[in-house]
Formats: sequence, structure tokens, C-alpha cells
Amino acid sequence: MEYDAIVVGGGPAGSVTARFAAESGAKVIILERRSEIGIPVLCGEGISQRIDNWGMLEGKRWIASKMDGAKIFSPDGTMVTLSKEMAGNETGYVVYRDIFDQELARRAAKAGADIILNTEVTELIKKNGKITGIKAREFDEKFEINANIIAGADGVESKIGKWAGINTTLKTNDLETCAQYTLTNVDYNSDYCEFYIGKKISPGGYIWIFPKGENTFNVGIGVLASLSDSRLPLKLLNKFINDNPILKKGEPIRFLAGAVPVSKPIETVKDNLLLVGDAARHADPITGGGLTTSLEGGKIAGETIGKSVEKQSFDKETLSSYETRWKEAFGTKLIRDYIVKEIMLDFDDKTLNMLADSLKDYKFEEFSTLSLVKALVIKHPTLLMKLTPLLKLTDKSLKKA
Amino acid sequence: MEKSKIKIDIKNCLACGGCISVCLQDAIYMISSKANLDDKKCIRCGICIKTCPIGAIQESK
Ligand SMILES: Cc1cc2nc3c(=O)[nH]c(=O)nc-3n(C[C@H](O)[C@H](O)[C@H](O)COP(=O)(O)OP(=O)(O)OC[C@H]3O[C@@H](n4cnc5c(N)ncnc54)[C@H](O)[C@@H]3O)c2cc1C
Repeated sequence: MEYDAIVVGGGPAGSVTARFAAESGAKVIILERRSEIGIPVLCGEGISQRIDNWGMLEGKRWIASKMDGAKIFSPDGTMVTLSKEMAGNETGYVVYRDIFDQELARRAAKAGADIILNTEVTELIKKNGKITGIKAREFDEKFEINANIIAGADGVESKIGKWAGINTTLKTNDLETCAQYTLTNVDYNSDYCEFYIGKKISPGGYIWIFPKGENTFNVGIGVLASLSDSRLPLKLLNKFINDNPILKKGEPIRFLAGAVPVSKPIETVKDNLLLVGDAARHADPITGGGLTTSLEGGKIAGETIGKSVEKQSFDKETLSSYETRWKEAFGTKLIRDYIVKEIMLDFDDKTLNMLADSLKDYKFEEFSTLSLVKALVIKHPTLLMKLTPLLKLTDKSLKKA
Repeated sequence: MEKSKIKIDIKNCLACGGCISVCLQDAIYMISSKANLDDKKCIRCGICIKTCPIGAIQESK
């Protein structure tokens, strides 16, 4: 088999990459080892409403509910609110991740991409130092596919990049290890996404409660792996639910384990191979959210593949425009949020309570981690001194506070 | 004293891939939605044990 491009992984990053590559004329195939796209769901399912502007998803079937904002609870229960009234009405959705992923795959297929399931990519084929294709296994059958470009969209494991010589191994302080329930029959009405932080609640991470409508909630935990221990995420999540009289009465309809990279971005192009989505370590280091960057990065990757097929040029120079463009789109944000993550790790529960108290009546400019970080810097310039230059805050905006 | 072997209990593994992403030796592979450990590559550092959110990886006694 011959293709212009092979996309390894049929998650959001892979499907969007394949779609935009196919739309710009490339012959592409997605290889996915799961037997159903999007399943199992490994996700909190929260996403910014910014995706409305990108036209990547049609219809509304993938939307479980629209959120009115976010509430962040410090260890002593002090609440900081980012609501849609304050944030110019743009907040986010809680999605059905299975339908979401399948919708993105449908658009890739519509654009002409081929998809094979039950197929694990096991090796890269290299000839004279150049990657010429992949080896794969579909059930017991082994086969090879040749292609000019390989896109690794293989998620947190990121083996494709590793095999190409990119150091994708995560340090334990750059990985959130997660457990999550979908609870139903929960007697609670809220259209806010809730976040609970604190060393005892979840070391180096947080617990989330995201509303999916119909008394159903996505409730999960991420613990920084360097501060975790065998089974700790599950134990802490169970404790949180059991200590909460309302959640405790809910019943689970789904349980999962998960892992999200919260590292600095890495090298994403090696010769004729590129990495996208979680494989490229594009998830946000503070929130662990990686859906928007998978979509943004996937579009840029797909367009870059299209261009290089058009020019029939498959070297690092041509593909590196992908890296330049994703850095422009969200590279600064990833680096900034990585630094914020590191600073936050030094804060004890007392400091977190103090910070939350200072923001409990704050009117945020917009629904984003940036507006939260800005507010913290404005209120506590010395505590967060390292951040001030990163935010490029003008004297004016500092004085205004 | 030799460090004891590490064992992934595949009946409990939920295929999150966390252990794979932190393994320094590239010794863990997903096969049929289960993490499998290549004992020949494993250096028994134990990082994967601490990373597993549900405790499916243990030292084998
Ligand atoms: C518990 C949890 C909660 C999260 N909550 C949120 C949230 O609320 N909001 C948000 O924005 N993000 C969230 N994230 C992050 C988000 O899920 C990821 O950023 C997103 O899935 C990245 O998409 P992707 O396409 O890069 O990777 P994935 O969705 O992981 O897709 C990778 C695909 O590649 C396949 N694959 C891997 N290796 C191979 C191989 N060798 N051969 C063939 N196929 C292969 C896998 O089967 C998989 O389907 C969460 C993550 C977790 C774990």
C-alpha cells in the first residue's frame, strides 16, 4: 500500500490532521488500534467555546451541555468564579467525547481520508536513515504501508516520535495520572464546571465536576505523577465522592483511568515525520486540557502535509512550517502555563486559600486561564514576579487594579 | 540484593498509557488494550508502579 501520508491514531488530533491533509489533496490513511473511534472515553469532556469559530464540528449531537462558567474552590472552600456574564458570554461546552471524536473522524472520511481500525502501528520502516513507512498489525495479520509523510497522533504514549528519535519520554512531574467517573442520578443543579484544588485533595492537580445535563456529571481527578503513588488518584477520588453527601448518592455509569502530559512543548518535526496533539505534548500544563490545541495543531499539520504533497517535497524544511505555525498559534501560551504550573506547585494550602480569598469578588475579563493568571499577578505582583514579563502587562493595566 | 520483578496485572489495566509515557526504557507496550512489560528491557526503577492511577502495576513477590 502507498499513501502520501499515514496518520497514526484516530483521536481528535489525528482526525483533524487527516481531514485537512485530505482536503488539500493528499492521499491519507488513519491507522487506529481501537475497535471504535472515541471509545473508551478518557476525558473530562470540557472544551472552550472558541471551537465555534473554527467550523470543525457540525450539528450539536456532540454537545452534552453548555457551561455558564467555572468555579474554583481552594482547600478551605473559598470560591473564585469565572462566569459568562463577566467573560463576554463566551465560556465552554461539556461534550460527549465519543460522539465528538467520531464527528471529527466523519469529517476526515468525508474529505477522503481512509480509516483502518484494530490496527496497531508497531514499527517505523527506515531505509538509508529515512523513514519510508510503517509496520502494523491488524488482529494477527502483519503488513506494511509506505508513505512520504508520517504524522504521530498517538496520544500520551507518543511511541512514534520516540522511534523517530524524538525524546518523548515524560518526567513524572510532567504527567497527570487520572481517574474519572461519570455519575448519574446526582441530585444537583449546576451549569458551572467546578475545580477543587489543594495538596490533600489532589497533589499537583485537581478534582473536577463537569455537568453533562440530566443529573449526570463527569467527576475526575488528576494527580501529578511525581507526587502520586500506586492507586492514589483512585483513592483520593473515591474519598472526595464519599465525603460529598450529594455525589455519594450518585451512581456510576462509566469509570476510567487516564494520563495527560503537562510538559513543556517538545520538538515536533523530524525529517518527514511530525507529531500532533498529546503526542506533541500540546496539552495545557495548568489544566491538562488538550482538545483545542489538538484541533488547532491538527489543522496546521494537515495543511502543511497538503502543501508538501503539492510541492512533492518531504524534508524537514517543508514540514517545519508546521512547527513555526503552531508556536505562533499557542506556543507562548504553553510555555507561560508551564511556568505557572511550576510556581503553583510551590504554593501550600494556606497560600492557595489566601490567593482564592483575594479573588473571590474579582471580575475576570474573559473565560480563560490567562485572565486568571493576570488577575493573580495584578493582585500579588511580588509572589508571582517571575510571571510579569511573560504576560507583557503594561504599567497601565497594573495601575488600573 | 536483586530488585524484585515488576508485574502488570493485565486484568486490571484500563489502557491509559501513563506508564508507557514515563518508562525510561521503552519497556512497556500496549497489546490488545493492555499494557505489557518487556522484562528483558525493564530496569525495575518502579516509576510505572507509582504512576498507575488504579494500582494495576506491582512488584511481584
Ligand atoms: C482523564 C482525562 C481528562 C481530560 N479532560 C480534558 C478536558 O476536560 N478537556 C480537554 O480539552 N482535554 C482533556 N483531556 C486531554 C485530552 O483528552 C487530550 O488532550 C486529547 O485526547 C488529545 O487528543 P489526541 O488525538 O492527541 O490523542 P488521543 O485522544 O489520546 O488519541 C490517540 C489515539 O492514538 C491511538 N494510538 C496510540 N498508539 C497507537 C499505535 N501505535 N497504533 C495505532 N493507534 C494508536 C490511540 O488508540 C488513540 O485513539 C483529558 C485527558 C484525560 C486523560
